[in-house]
Amino acid sequence: MSKKIIAIISVLVLAALAFAGYKAFLSPKGVEGAKEVTINIVIEKEGIDKTFTYNTNHEFLIQLLEENKEELGITFEEFDFGKMITGMMGYTADPTSEYFHIYVNGEDATTGVAEIPLNDQDSYTFELKNF
Amino acid sequence: MLIGILSATITAGKLALSFIPNIEVVTLLFIAYTIVFGYRKTMFVSLIFTTTEIFIYGLNTWLLVYYFIWPFLILLTEIMKKAVKSEYGYAVLGGIFGYAFGFFFAIGESLFYGIAYGWAYWIRGLLFDLIHGTSNFIVILTLLNPLKSLLSKLKMAYYREKS
Repeated sequence: MSKKIIAIISVLVLAALAFAGYKAFLSPKGVEGAKEVTINIVIEKEGIDKTFTYNTNHEFLIQLLEENKEELGITFEEFDFGKMITGMMGYTADPTSEYFHIYVNGEDATTGVAEIPLNDQDSYTFELKNF
Repeated sequence: MLIGILSATITAGKLALSFIPNIEVVTLLFIAYTIVFGYRKTMFVSLIFTTTEIFIYGLNTWLLVYYFIWPFLILLTEIMKKAVKSEYGYAVLGGIFGYAFGFFFAIGESLFYGIAYGWAYWIRGLLFDLIHGTSNFIVILTLLNPLKSLLSKLKMAYYREKS
């Protein structure tokens, strides 16, 4: 077998291992079963600070948001890296200076909205911020 | 004229493969152009390529990062080319560049939208980076040498006709 083919196969094997590692350790995992979660929306400049409590069997936050899209007044935009929230409670963020920051139990979310798993008693805060 | 043709081939190469996510020949072409035509001309090519991208896709934050990352790749290739003659070295360079591609953009996105967003952007794109780096390695390993010899012949013919 030529040296190049061996090099290509080796890289493909390493990539497959890295893929398995990503799936095992980094990829978000949903939790099955019933949960009670809180969604808090803060848009200070509009005087909005609302809290919603939901009982759900969904595994990811995005599914809950999509199900209650009308009540939460949410709009999304699809980017090549995934979904992003562009509006909440009927207010559309100015894409040149504003965005919705997400906190999970008061801590900065470390993934995009589509990858946040739902856990029982968790609270998810969406706050309009400037950048 | 030469810079115009090289820029056009990079844009065409990118568009031709744009239906396959994160498999591209732009990295291969920038490396080959730097080796054959030198970093000065290739820097101009990268400037025209990125500006053309803005005309095609509109002004986005990710396109601004293009103004930095392609010149960075060109500089790395220029530094390497005196010491590295084998295609394996460039395949490793292109591979690492592809694996780190999302990280470069995450830094750019962090400057605009904050670190939390940049972090989310990077993690979200890791699988794309994995495809990108791996495919870069394979594409460069298999195509760099034939491309280099073809470009060297074309370069000689181009300057012969000009003189």
